Parts: sequence; structure tokens; C-alpha cells
Amino acid sequence: MKFISIMLAGVLTSNFIFMQYLGLCAFVGISEQFETALGMSGAVLFVMTFACTVAAAFEQFILVPFGLQYLRTIAYILVIAAFVQLVEIFLKKTAPSLYKALGIYLPLITTNCAVLGAAMLNVKNDYGILWGTVNGLAGALGWSLAILIFAGIRERWKFMKIPEVLKGFPLALVSTGLMSLAFLGFSGLFKTILK
Amino acid sequence: MESKRSLIGEFTKGLIEENATFRMAIGMCPTLAVTTSLVNGFWMGVAVIFVLTFSNVFVSILRKVTPDEIRIPIFVILIATPVVIVELVMNAYLPEMYRLLGIFVPLIVVNCLIIARAEAFAYKNSVIRSALDGLGIGTGFMINLMVIGAIREFLGTGRLAFGSVAFPAEPLFEPMAVMLTPPGGFVTLGVLMAILNILVRRAQLRKAKASA
Amino acid sequence: MTDRLLITSSPHIRAPKTVRGIMLDVVIALVPACVAAVIFFGVKALMVLVASTVSAVVSEYLYEKAVKRPVTVGDFSAVVTGVLLGLTLPPGVPLYVPIVGSAFAIVIAKQIFGGLGTNFVNPALAGRAFVLAAWPLHVTSAWLNPLTMDAATGATPLHAFKGGQAVGSLTDLLIGNRLGSLGETSAVAILLGGIYLLVRGVIDYRIPVAYLGTLGLGVFVFGKPGALFQGDPLRGILLGGALLGAFFMATDYVTSPVTPKGRTYFGIGAGLITLLIRYWGDYPEGVTYAILLMNLATPLIDRFVVPKYYGYMHDVEARRRAREGGR
Repeated sequence: MKFISIMLAGVLTSNFIFMQYLGLCAFVGISEQFETALGMSGAVLFVMTFACTVAAAFEQFILVPFGLQYLRTIAYILVIAAFVQLVEIFLKKTAPSLYKALGIYLPLITTNCAVLGAAMLNVKNDYGILWGTVNGLAGALGWSLAILIFAGIRERWKFMKIPEVLKGFPLALVSTGLMSLAFLGFSGLFKTILK
Repeated sequence: MESKRSLIGEFTKGLIEENATFRMAIGMCPTLAVTTSLVNGFWMGVAVIFVLTFSNVFVSILRKVTPDEIRIPIFVILIATPVVIVELVMNAYLPEMYRLLGIFVPLIVVNCLIIARAEAFAYKNSVIRSALDGLGIGTGFMINLMVIGAIREFLGTGRLAFGSVAFPAEPLFEPMAVMLTPPGGFVTLGVLMAILNILVRRAQLRKAKASA
Repeated sequence: MTDRLLITSSPHIRAPKTVRGIMLDVVIALVPACVAAVIFFGVKALMVLVASTVSAVVSEYLYEKAVKRPVTVGDFSAVVTGVLLGLTLPPGVPLYVPIVGSAFAIVIAKQIFGGLGTNFVNPALAGRAFVLAAWPLHVTSAWLNPLTMDAATGATPLHAFKGGQAVGSLTDLLIGNRLGSLGETSAVAILLGGIYLLVRGVIDYRIPVAYLGTLGLGVFVFGKPGALFQGDPLRGILLGGALLGAFFMATDYVTSPVTPKGRTYFGIGAGLITLLIRYWGDYPEGVTYAILLMNLATPLIDRFVVPKYYGYMHDVEARRRAREGGR
């Protein structure tokens, strides 16, 4: 039940983009092509899920025993940066084709606030390692769903007469607003069953 | 390349010319997440000014001894330090505000605004210029947050409050709850940027016409 | 997009349909629903419809003047948006609700992207979703009793129906003698308009059929609290906004898929989401959100559901032939 409720929250009811404002820079920046959005989604799925695992483990085995929680922000950002670096090296050696596909997106993820945000939310919700990982996965799935939808919409703009002066951020934000308005429909989904 | 502005210019450019939100379009997440009220925007802005000024100063001091290849990780650590200070101070003296701003205070560390200034300015300029740049860009960012916060608060609650002072005493109209939710935030910022883009474009056209 | 939308399905009649012609057909199709609303809910319903329509047209005019684009008020698309939005609202709402809703629908959901054809969500539904989030109390409780036209207290028939209570005779549901939004009460009026659009070839039958079919089936399975397969599909379709949504909103050319198969999927998806929200979500009815969400999915449906072209070969077959030295 907890699994379903975390998944549902991450993907639909409290989607990272539409409801929590996390990871907007990459969402707007990398959504012009469907294929690149797909690549970025893959990278985010992988990194966010396991970065949450690593950060939660770090919290449980190092920060809490030594009473260092006040250094959490520094610790997490370093852990995530190091993790992304490791993933990059590991992929380069073992799965060159995957590395080729995801490689250019990996450095971008270190500064994607969604990853650090997910790790921080896990602490706030007291999720621990297992549920923290699930929450990371759910958040990443929600983020990917959002960027794929948006990339689909943006690809159509290429064939339309969209006002040139508004094309970048203004329309991206207005569209995100309309999408998040639609996602309001999911609010409270299954809450009577899950609670 | 070193900046050649006057020292005052280093500060004032952040207000309009290089305005973080509207001209450079960076730092979106907190701009939307914390702007449900004027006061939230103000305190978030104060936190960003503090972090940006100090991270700029630190980066600038160490710019001669920072190896190029690993400068980004070093920037991140230099940024994280003032962020942790802000977190601890806010938690101690403004616990209510700290709770309201939530994870967006620690997330200042990955705000692209801060790292962009470190990379584009502080890494290449003197300490005094970097400090003024941080103060200026930070102040511009704070003004944006307060303006957006004020618009959303006014439409969403029918009034504006700052501390214990509220204006007007009674809401003028039926408040639109949607303005305080994510859709309201996205649309507000999108529309503001759209209006600004159109005005800037018109000004450019007029200038081009005048010079031709 | 030009203002000339070519319909190329056979038979190829010489006079191509214009946006204006199509929109006029939609306006005509909406007349019975509007008349029914005014008969049952009186002047208040008329005021809501007028306010939303005038606001839509004026917003379109003012925006296009402000950004110096040609004014397209004459194509009637703003009128359609305004009337549709009015029909989704309860008769007793304060008039600023339809006015703000229409302005949002026209400016934010449509014009800012460049006008008709560039919007990716149905403007009227975006407007409704906006006012629903802005003033939830007004939009979900300002009901009037039919014919007597006094303020109604208590739940709508849809609400009672979800709780498993009896909800009046089918005749009342069909002609519209019940509580509800302007355009959801009289099923006969909506159906009349829908059939007109089908006959005129303005809309494709696939979306409404797939949508209402899925919804009916779902209501049959899940509609009775505490028991499966005992719901009442007919009342499940007639109550709430599904009919109006299925014929007039889900069929919007701009925001629904272009391929026949894609349209079927669109309808099924909208039906499923409506059920999900109606029975397990926070909102009493899910039609608005279901169609909006399927609008978001439309570019992806169009991307992945492509018709087989003549001479199409399955990958496996193509590879086998290639291996065997064929071309």
C-alpha cells in the first residue's frame, strides 16, 4: 500500500514539475525535441532513484550517528556530485552505448534541483533508505511523464505560427500552468482507500 | 574578461539590465515555489542576497588558486557554506518562515543563478566587484520575488499583508484560490514574462526605427 | 495555420468548409441546449451564457488589438468557446465567474499561443478548470431548482447516484428537469445538437462513442457502491457533464488526435480518467479534467498511433524478405 501511495503521489497527485516546482530548468531547457527529452528522462530516472538510495544511506550511517545533520546540504550535494561522476565513469567502461545515449545529460543532473530536492524530501518525510529509493523513482517517473508530454506539445509548435517573442520561457511557463491545471484533476485520487 | 563598469554599475545592472528572472531566465524553481506571498518572497530574497554575495566573494578571493579543471566542485562547496549558515540562522531566528520556505532554502545551493554568477563573474573579477555584483543581482532577484509574491497574494487572498499590517482591511473581491496553487504561479510568471518580452521588443523596434 | 481548414474525407464536395462554417454549425448545434437551460433555469441561465459569450468575444478582440494581429472575432470560435464555458457552469454563479473564465480561456489557453489552431487544450475546458480552482465553492454549489428557479440546497443527482441512491425518473433526466450545470441537464437537447454535428460531418463518431461506451461500461462495473457489475450505465452517462463533453469538447479538432484509431484511444482514455476522478478522486465529476488530460496526451497519441500506409510490411516480414535476397 505504501508503495502504491508513494508512486501515485510522485507521478500524478504531487508531480515534481506540476505540483512541487522541482527541476524546472531542465524541464524547459531540454523539452524541445522528443528524443532528447526521452534521453534526459532515462538519465534522470537512473540517477534520481539511486542518488536517493545513496543519500539516504549516507544520512543513516554517517550523518545521524555522528550528529552531523546540520551539514546535510553540503554532504548531499557532494554525495550526489560524486555519484553522478561514478555513474559516468562506470557507464563509460561497461556500457558505452548507454553512455553515449545518456552521457551528455549526466553532468546537467548534478545541478538539477529535482535530485537534491527528492533527497531532501525523503529526510523531511522520514522515509529511510528503502522508501526513499521508491520516492526517488516515483518522482523521476513523474518528472519524465511531464517532460515527455511537454516535448510532444512543443514539437508541434515547429509547424505552427507561434509568436516569436513569446516562444521561450513565457509560453513554456503558461503551458506548464495549463498542464498543471489539468493535473489538479488527480488531486485526492484513491485517498480514501490508501489512508 | 574583466568587467569595465563603474562600481555603482556593478550593483545596478542586476536590477534591470541583467535581471535574473526576466532577462536571464534562471532560478525558476524558487521563483515559483516561494512566491505565494510578499513576505515569503522578501525572506527568500534576503537569503539569496546573502548566499550570492558571500559565494561571489569566496570564489573571487580564491580565483587565482582555483585550478580550472575542478572549479565547479569547488564553487559548489563555496556556495554550500553560506547556504548552511543561512539555514542555521533562519532555523534559529525565523523558524516559522524556515518551515514555510521548506526545502527551497537548502535548494539555493543548486540554484543556477548562484553558480552562473560564480562562473560568469566572480571567477574573473576582483573581490569588491564580485561583492557588488552579488548584492545587485541578489537585490534584483528579491524584487522579482516580492513583485510576483505580491501579485499572487493580492489575487489569491484579496489583500496584501506584511507582518501584522494588512491592506486593505477587508478583501476587495472574492479571492481566487487558484493563484496560490502551482497553476496560478506558472501562469502569473509566464504572463509577466510575456508582457515584458512584448514591451522590450516594441522598444527595440522603436529604437531601430529612430536610428534608421 | 490559415483560416481555411480543409476537410478531405470523402465525398469531396466542391465547397471547402471554412472555420467560420464549422463554428457556425457548432453554434447551431448548441442552440437546443441553451434553450433548454433558459427554460429550466430562467433569466439567470441566460445571464451566465451572455456574460461568458460576450466576455470571450471581447477578450479575443482586445487581445488581438493589443498585440496588433488581425482580429478573428468573425470566425465564431470565440462565441463557441464562450457558450461552451457558460454551459459547464451552474446557473446560480455570480457573473464574474463566467467573465473571468472566458477571458482566461481565450487569452491564456488560446490567443497567447498565436490563436485558433495553436492551442493544445480546449479553451472552454481550461477556462472552466481555472474558475473551478479559483472559486471552487461557487462552481460546485450554485445550483438552482429547475422551473421554480430558487436556490437549491443539497447534492446534485450525480452525487446521490454515486452514493447509490435513487435519482428520479429517466424522463426527467432526459428532458433535463433536475439540478445541474446549464448544459448537462437536458440530455435530449445535447443529443439533438450532437446528432446534427454528426450528420453535417463536423465531428467524427469515434470519440463520443468510445468515450460514452467506456464510461457506461465502467459505471456498470463500478457504479454501485459495495458491489461489482450492478451499476446503471444509462444514468451514469446521463448524469454529469459527459454528454456535453463527449460531443462538443472532446471532438475539438485542434486538441484531439487526427487518426481514426487515435480518436478511439482518446475516447477510451477520457472515459477511464472520468471514471477514475468521479469514483476515486476529490472532485464530484471528472469530465473536464479527463478531456484536458487527454488533450495533453494528444501529441503523443498522434506520434505513436500512425496509420499503416499502403504496402506496409511488418518489421519481421521485411527483414525475412531482405534476408532471402528480395528487395
